[in-house]
Amino acid sequence: MKVLNTIWLTCLAVCLLVLCACNRSDANQQLKQTVPIRFALAQMPLNLDPRYATDAASERVNRLIYQSLVDFDATSNPVPKLATWLMVSPREYHFSLKQPLANFHHHKPLTAYDVKATYDSIITLKDSPQTSEYSNISSIQVKNETLVIFQLKQPDTHFASKLIIGILPKDDIEKKHDFTHHPIGSGPLAFEHWQNKLALKRVRDGQLILFTEVKDPTVRVLKLLRGETDLLQGDLQPELVSYLQTKPDITVKTVAGVNFSYLGLNMQDPLLRQRKVRMAIAHAIDRQSIIDKVMLKSTRAAGAILPPEHYTNAGVALPAYAYNPGLSKQLLLEAGVQLPLKLVYKTSTDAQRVRLATILQAQMAKAGMNLEIRSLDWGTFFEEVKKGNFQLFGLTWVGIKTPDIYAKAFGSQQFPPNGFNRGHYADAELDAMLLAEDWPAVTARIQAQLPYIPLWYEAQFAAFDKNITNYAPKPDGNWDDLATIKRSATISNHAH
Amino acid sequence: MRLFSYAILGLWVLAVVAGYLFQLDPNTINLNVILQGPTTQYWFGADDLGRDILARVLSGVEMSVLVACIVTIVTMIFGVLVGMLAGFYGGRVDSVLMQVTDIFLAFPGILLAIAFAAVLGPGLGNLILALSLTGWVSYARLTRGQTISLRSRQHVLAAESLGAGVPRLLFRHILPLMTSVLVVEAAYSLASVMIAEASLSFLGLGIQAPDASWGAMLRDAVRFMLVAPHYVLIVGACLMSLILAINLAGDYLRDKLDVKREME
Repeated sequence: MKVLNTIWLTCLAVCLLVLCACNRSDANQQLKQTVPIRFALAQMPLNLDPRYATDAASERVNRLIYQSLVDFDATSNPVPKLATWLMVSPREYHFSLKQPLANFHHHKPLTAYDVKATYDSIITLKDSPQTSEYSNISSIQVKNETLVIFQLKQPDTHFASKLIIGILPKDDIEKKHDFTHHPIGSGPLAFEHWQNKLALKRVRDGQLILFTEVKDPTVRVLKLLRGETDLLQGDLQPELVSYLQTKPDITVKTVAGVNFSYLGLNMQDPLLRQRKVRMAIAHAIDRQSIIDKVMLKSTRAAGAILPPEHYTNAGVALPAYAYNPGLSKQLLLEAGVQLPLKLVYKTSTDAQRVRLATILQAQMAKAGMNLEIRSLDWGTFFEEVKKGNFQLFGLTWVGIKTPDIYAKAFGSQQFPPNGFNRGHYADAELDAMLLAEDWPAVTARIQAQLPYIPLWYEAQFAAFDKNITNYAPKPDGNWDDLATIKRSATISNHAH
Repeated sequence: MRLFSYAILGLWVLAVVAGYLFQLDPNTINLNVILQGPTTQYWFGADDLGRDILARVLSGVEMSVLVACIVTIVTMIFGVLVGMLAGFYGGRVDSVLMQVTDIFLAFPGILLAIAFAAVLGPGLGNLILALSLTGWVSYARLTRGQTISLRSRQHVLAAESLGAGVPRLLFRHILPLMTSVLVVEAAYSLASVMIAEASLSFLGLGIQAPDASWGAMLRDAVRFMLVAPHYVLIVGACLMSLILAINLAGDYLRDKLDVKREME
């Protein structure tokens, strides 16, 4: 009897221990999810309504709050997200929503009626920057809850890849809900609140993610080191990224980027109209030395807007123009230019942009060019670029996936405000190639004619606390991994 | 302390001359030495573009002193003119001129300079204009007070009764008597204009790249404080030493020119 009692007591003790351990594990898991993951941003999103958002931060957050019909794979081919599609003709597309239907964060199912309402509202909005993108839509018909038909005015074989706007709920569109500040989507993160900080909650497990704005890069780094933030991505000088890489408590991940940096040229300028002058500028820049010394290591020299891995390039990288100041000078003399060639370069006041401009100035001086730098605040600078009030400017194309960028940026019918041909480049031969969608010929022509001077595809990085896992930067700088990010270890007190 | 201030000022003059003699180029970029600490080749280290910090500091002090001198001269001429007219004529002229002066005084000087620089746009010329637009008020106030007290002096009244015109009275009989006060004010003004220039350049509203300016250098240095602390420390120490030396020299100049203190 005594032995039996001892066995019973031992079993009971073991059960209690197991229960306690389970409870502790559950509690720890719960704690991990209730303690927010804090993401420090250089700039907060400005607009959480995907019909209006234009800034990078808003678009990146909106990708997490909303879902679109279509997304892109690693080679930038359009792939189904909410819906599969059938191109009945270049003027008619059928989109079938995937089963089971996705749910909005207010628990209503996302149906074909919501798709129609979203795109109908974009077409009719007068103040949306997206409206012109969808002006080719003639009508949208709903056949049933899962099938929606888009009829186009003009044939467009790339129409499917344009349907990347997050879908909004029909009833809330009709009620003129304020999506800008209180978004309702169907994405992996749901909106919680937005006072000073933007709080999103992961639908799957309730993990809270807090976005805070910390403008100064040094302060962002210090906050990460002190445990006052868990994650930061982009907008840091490469030296600070290297500094973070030396810290044992911080994980830094980098990835080759796809965002294309370039020098824009004004083709109405009598000097820059000459191809030899443009070639001279292209040969005057030592891209590799700039990449090696003042950029992240995974940055790549660029030959075209779309990166080598893009499906239109089939993995073939166009070579960047080689650095050859002697050849530059010779080309300028052949073009009949009196040295030094005086050029005005406009850029924003961003410190890294001014730094790069100063390096360009020094490199181009060796090639007989006298570059005057004018750094303007972002609003003024972008207005000047849009108005064509420049000789040279430096900008970056962010998140470009479709080859129709070539038509928008270089088509002779695409001068602002219709398109983005801000340098007023007109080339009948290129127009014919664009019409034929002969992308290899288009990229080769652009590289030869140089309406842009290609610079590089800037690498992306993310730096986070060592307790953070399941996060990696994306080539276009998106924050998609916030849908899967986790805390791996027990939460320490000092950090929170 | 007096010797210290003169020594620092002398050192700066020597350094600028040496910079010329050794032909230090503040704009030569060497990407291989970016943010390098002090070495035998780069005594103060290299900046974020691999430029010699020593050469840029020397170029910066030239630029700073040039701006300070021009602004001080312009503001002194304008302020003295306004103050003398207000003090000499009194009545409505005094009232109007001093009300305008008070409006300028109502705003913090540096804030007004920032506003002007922002409206005018960045650049050396606009920087000088912005600082001149705000710097004249202290001279006007000071000169007005001095003129009121000197206006009723016997020699002024005698010259007036002998038929001397207003310009002669102002510039031959009143202005020379307030020179010492103005010189002391100018000495302090030099230091404050240098700080204001550095502040505007720090905000990106002053001297533009690639020209060297201490304010712009400090702004760049702060961004790399974690990886290259020598940069911010050296530029900060240079600015502090020069301003301190000018202020101390101003103090001694004031003591020297103060008749009462000399009599004591």
